[in-house]
Amino acid sequence: MAKRNKLEIIKDILEIIQFNHNSVKPTPLLRKSNLSSTRFKEYYKEMLEKEFIKETTNKGSKLIQITDKGNLFLEKYQTIINFIDEFEL
Amino acid sequence: MPKTMHMMQNLIPKAIQIDILYSFVIIICSLMIYFATKKLYELSGHKGIKYFRQAFLFFAIVYLFRSSIQVIVSYLGRGGILDISQKTFGVLSLFLFIYASSIAVFYLLYSVMYKKWDSESKIIPAFHIIAVIVAIISTSYKTASIILGLQIILFLFLAITTFISYKDSKKKSKKHSMYIIYFLIFIFFLLNIVDIITPNFLGLQLLIYLASTFLFLLILYKVLRKIGN
Repeated sequence: MAKRNKLEIIKDILEIIQFNHNSVKPTPLLRKSNLSSTRFKEYYKEMLEKEFIKETTNKGSKLIQITDKGNLFLEKYQTIINFIDEFEL
Repeated sequence: MPKTMHMMQNLIPKAIQIDILYSFVIIICSLMIYFATKKLYELSGHKGIKYFRQAFLFFAIVYLFRSSIQVIVSYLGRGGILDISQKTFGVLSLFLFIYASSIAVFYLLYSVMYKKWDSESKIIPAFHIIAVIVAIISTSYKTASIILGLQIILFLFLAITTFISYKDSKKKSKKHSMYIIYFLIFIFFLLNIVDIITPNFLGLQLLIYLASTFLFLLILYKVLRKIGN
């Protein structure tokens, strides 16, 4: 299996959250993302900073949800990839 | 025809009018590319997109200085920018024109090479230092042969690097049509500098203008088609 690039990993993480009705706990998200704990933390932090995801609390447990910006990223993902490919970037 | 329009036509020679129109088209194309890709960069944070956008922002700046230089030359009625470069505005315009044009092509090159050239923190300052040195030498010596020599060295560096990258991409059986367009931009970057130093170089001015405009319009078309605007 080819190594995933950064944008693909972000897209995969967002899709996992979306697939779980936009609400997932951190541990299952880490497991499903197929990343090491260290790398997952890096991506998680970056996605929070970019406001692609947000943390909420429900009955004392932390949940992760996609924001509007995260949804926009998913919507534009293929356009971004096609653009990078077209211009050899 | 309105009176003011008629006066403008009498004040500005036809060659300069064409030059201003040419610069205006390139500036608009470059700024459209820059702003059309803003959202893609904000979402992806992709380095290639970042430097691609910045290259076109610098192209817009280059052509802004280019047209200002041409207007200065036309009003002072001299042979070229080198004749008037003793004057502060002439020196400043020439300096900024050469600096911005070097940075524009460096950024365009870096947008396709950043994966191979890892250390961004060293390469980007190095590009700025080289661009400043080239601009200082060019404005200090004020001789066409030195300016041309420096630009030819710069062009050879760009051309060889692009060619090596093109060869690598061919091995990976990727599409590589953009390399040809980038290569042509580097050629026209050199010809545009030649044109401003030695006006109407070999009588090819109109051809250089048309070909450069075509390249920028082609890139703009490709950008807008991919983005879906």
